[in-house]
Amino acid sequence: MAASDSPSAALRRRDLCSRGIRLAGKMRSDVVDLLDTYVERQGLDASASVVAVEGVPAAAVERWDEQTGTQRLLENLAAYRAFRALLAQMLEEQREQLGEADAALGRALAAVLLQVSAFAYHLEELLRLESHGPPSEEGASPPPPSHLSLFEKKLRGLGVLRELAQWAVRSARDLRQIAKPSLGSSSAPSLAESP
Amino acid sequence: DSHIQYERVGADVTMKCGSMDWDAAVTWTANGTDIDESHLNGSYLILKNVDLTQSGQYSCYEGSSWHLKYQTYLRVGTPPKEPVLMCRSNNYPKGFYCSWHLPTPTYIPNSFNISVIHGTREMVCEKDAFPKNRCHIRYLQLFSTVKYKVTLTVTNALGKNSTTLTFDEVAIVKPDPPESVVAKPVPNNPRRLEVSWQNPSSWPDPESFPLKFFLRYRPLILDQWQHVELSDGTSHTITDAYAGKEYIIQVAAKDNDIGTWSDWSVAVHATPWTEEPKHLTTEAQVTETTSASTSSFMPPPTTKICDKGAVVGS
Amino acid sequence: QNLKCITHNLHKMICTWDVSSKGRHGQTDFCYTTNDLPPPVCFKTKEKRVEILVPESSTTVTVTTNSVSGTAIATKEFEIHKKDVSFVPLTPRIFSLTPDFATSTLNLKWSDNGSVFPYGLDAIWQIQILRKEAMEKVTQVNYYSKLTHEDIILSWNWTSDMPLECTSHYVKLRCYINVTQFAGPKDWSDWSPVEEIPGKDSEPNGSGVFPQDTVVAVGSDVTICCVHEEGQQIQRMTYGPEIYPMIHLSRRSSAIRVLNASASDSSGTNAVCILSEDEMEGTVLFVGYAPDIPQNLSCETSNFLIVKCTWKPGRPSGLYGKRRTKYSLFERVSGKNVSCEDNEMSREHVCGFPVLADQKTYDFILGVSNPIGQTESSLLVDLIERVRPKTPEKVTVLGNSSTSVRLHWFINGSFAEIRLLCQIEISSGHSERKLHNVSVPGGKFSTYTAQLNTLHPYTKYQFRVRCSAADHFWKWSGWSRIEEHTTLEA
Repeated sequence: MAASDSPSAALRRRDLCSRGIRLAGKMRSDVVDLLDTYVERQGLDASASVVAVEGVPAAAVERWDEQTGTQRLLENLAAYRAFRALLAQMLEEQREQLGEADAALGRALAAVLLQVSAFAYHLEELLRLESHGPPSEEGASPPPPSHLSLFEKKLRGLGVLRELAQWAVRSARDLRQIAKPSLGSSSAPSLAESP
Repeated sequence: DSHIQYERVGADVTMKCGSMDWDAAVTWTANGTDIDESHLNGSYLILKNVDLTQSGQYSCYEGSSWHLKYQTYLRVGTPPKEPVLMCRSNNYPKGFYCSWHLPTPTYIPNSFNISVIHGTREMVCEKDAFPKNRCHIRYLQLFSTVKYKVTLTVTNALGKNSTTLTFDEVAIVKPDPPESVVAKPVPNNPRRLEVSWQNPSSWPDPESFPLKFFLRYRPLILDQWQHVELSDGTSHTITDAYAGKEYIIQVAAKDNDIGTWSDWSVAVHATPWTEEPKHLTTEAQVTETTSASTSSFMPPPTTKICDKGAVVGS
Repeated sequence: QNLKCITHNLHKMICTWDVSSKGRHGQTDFCYTTNDLPPPVCFKTKEKRVEILVPESSTTVTVTTNSVSGTAIATKEFEIHKKDVSFVPLTPRIFSLTPDFATSTLNLKWSDNGSVFPYGLDAIWQIQILRKEAMEKVTQVNYYSKLTHEDIILSWNWTSDMPLECTSHYVKLRCYINVTQFAGPKDWSDWSPVEEIPGKDSEPNGSGVFPQDTVVAVGSDVTICCVHEEGQQIQRMTYGPEIYPMIHLSRRSSAIRVLNASASDSSGTNAVCILSEDEMEGTVLFVGYAPDIPQNLSCETSNFLIVKCTWKPGRPSGLYGKRRTKYSLFERVSGKNVSCEDNEMSREHVCGFPVLADQKTYDFILGVSNPIGQTESSLLVDLIERVRPKTPEKVTVLGNSSTSVRLHWFINGSFAEIRLLCQIEISSGHSERKLHNVSVPGGKFSTYTAQLNTLHPYTKYQFRVRCSAADHFWKWSGWSRIEEHTTLEA
């Protein structure tokens, strides 16, 4: 399943990875800022712990260092597609609940949504370097939450942003792993085998 | 019968002479020394408002036969106060360690029990041989938003206390300071100093988990530090040094994405390169100038780190 | 012994008596005579009670107790006077008890059993509301009604100071009928059986914080409760940033009382119930103001197609999104209603209402409402007195001589029903500006024209124009763009 590892493909992958790492870093700092704004604007307690929220991809992973490059990209892409839908949902709820009242929070949400979409596209680009490319989008969007109260929606939003912040860190780490030149080989490890 | 008896500082202690009656004639000794009759109530030994110095071995002998009827080892101490607990990951993403101490001594043996809960899962905290009050936990999961809850319980014969820490995985990531910090003048550049260092050896995978660094430097004659943050690489050239002034330089490290800054590295000193004086008269002068400008030689490790001219910190 | 007679309906009475232990198991011969019924009426009964007519004045009763074998054990005679008979209304029967959780209101319906009594009796109904596991009395209210010889279903509402979900509410009532012409003692009926509205704390998985996502007025006192599972313990309850003392309601429910609630942020104020470190429930309270009466309501038309009304909203309600204050424009003459698109953040609000054929006068009512209250403002407008044309466009200047020009301009709108007064400002170089007024018949999306004479030859002029209604001046339109023109040489 490994990509044809021509030097140009390896160079293209490394370029995509390093740009992806920078995008992930920027996204993370924006998400962390958004989290602070969100917590403050929604009157939440920053230390509140939120139980795992249905439909929100958890960044937590076991034996992370044993994942192949393809696994990393596929898991990342699935997550960011889900976050794209979740953030769009949050934006819609924000408009419904607050109208124009909190335009700043709305803009910050929209900006992060844009970055998440860009990052998802970036991952698709990386997967295109592989033979079978990115999976199709059907059925990717998370199930609409059963009726949630407003407070539950607020907590859900907090859960979404926290997971997204962790995913941004994980993505940077994943891309660094993928970008690592494998030991002794001239070209970078094909995605399937990277450690 | 002989055993250990624990009592709080300030307590009043009454010791019976084993099975001897109250009115039996007995003799009490403390660490082998007879105890004055004033401390006796019949055959009972009464110790009021005991203090630490009264810890020791207390024995009771039957008056006539001098048979040992009762012996105890009195340990005077205090119940434990709330312990101070700290958890930190200096080898992320391998794991983290927790260490603890008591704010005040109890003077009697204490036992520590630590529990680490992550979500619904209890994790093993493997005790380190040294230092004793420390154990380490291996991360089973990375990038988790679920908080870790560490509870340390300290128990001794006089009481029990505990403390709990709740933290996020990312919050406790704090690398050790950078190592092997070296600062060298740059020949023919009176305002430059070249500083280099290494990732802390405890940091397991700098490639996947790159560190960024914070350099601070100042001439000894000034108190105000200058700072520069470096997002990659382990060297930096200071280009605005005051000519001829000795500098003190330190470096700190932080994971590129998460956690907090390490402590500052050991300080190193260096003085920028200076022009050779034109009128050379005596050889001494030359030697003296040379040693002043090229203090980048490696001092023997036993040299006290902050000695003038010592440039390598490890 | 102790023969007592009670009537529930002033017509028949129920007499009861005690019997010595010997006669407890045997039958009783019960005979009674009233002064208007000489021969005694007798019957046997095993019960210790009989129902007989209420005497006009008095009745003599003979009670003979027999043993199980039927032999008479004891006989006693009683004289019962009408004034000895107690009147106790029948125990009322609750017809229905319906909760409205949205408004925390209980609606009680019961039958007044009026058919039993003659007309016009005054009845007092004592209604008790009880709450919590211990069924503590919350309130007791007297409700007055008049019996009308028919069974009427009476209805009464009560709004609880806490959400009905918080804990079970119970209602019971009793009745007292003031029969002035009844000589005997009168007493309250027995209490009706208790009717319960179970709270969420008696539902298996009814946990939650209540009221859920509600809107209250600034200054209200609000009770917020936390219903949790059996065995769980509430660590603390917070409202906004503050921890509040808890009021125990039941094993599974506790509440806090927020007094004089202050206005909340746009996202509402969170009320959180912390059950353990990582388990919490919550609700969001939106505390705002009822809508203010709109100020400076003003309506005008710029094109005889749309009437544009503007107003100042007054004090912001503090409610946003779907809870925001909404406006609608109702026109009384046509009966037409238009809801207004508005943005709660803008200082001035605007709403458009279609100009209706053949309608000159518009009787507007601007309706304003939000979840806390509603109000309105009204304005009667004669449309032709409220014309402010759109800014003239496509101004062109045609010069056909050295001292005169012809100005053309277009106005978007339909002014066929009125005359327009247009003002042309003429300025050139350093000379003083002149205004030239011209009255033109209004047209439908027309271009208008005016001739300007007595100009100086070979001179550069700037022209701009504005218009208004000629007959009933209301406001000038905006000035058009400036159009430059140099007159021909002489």
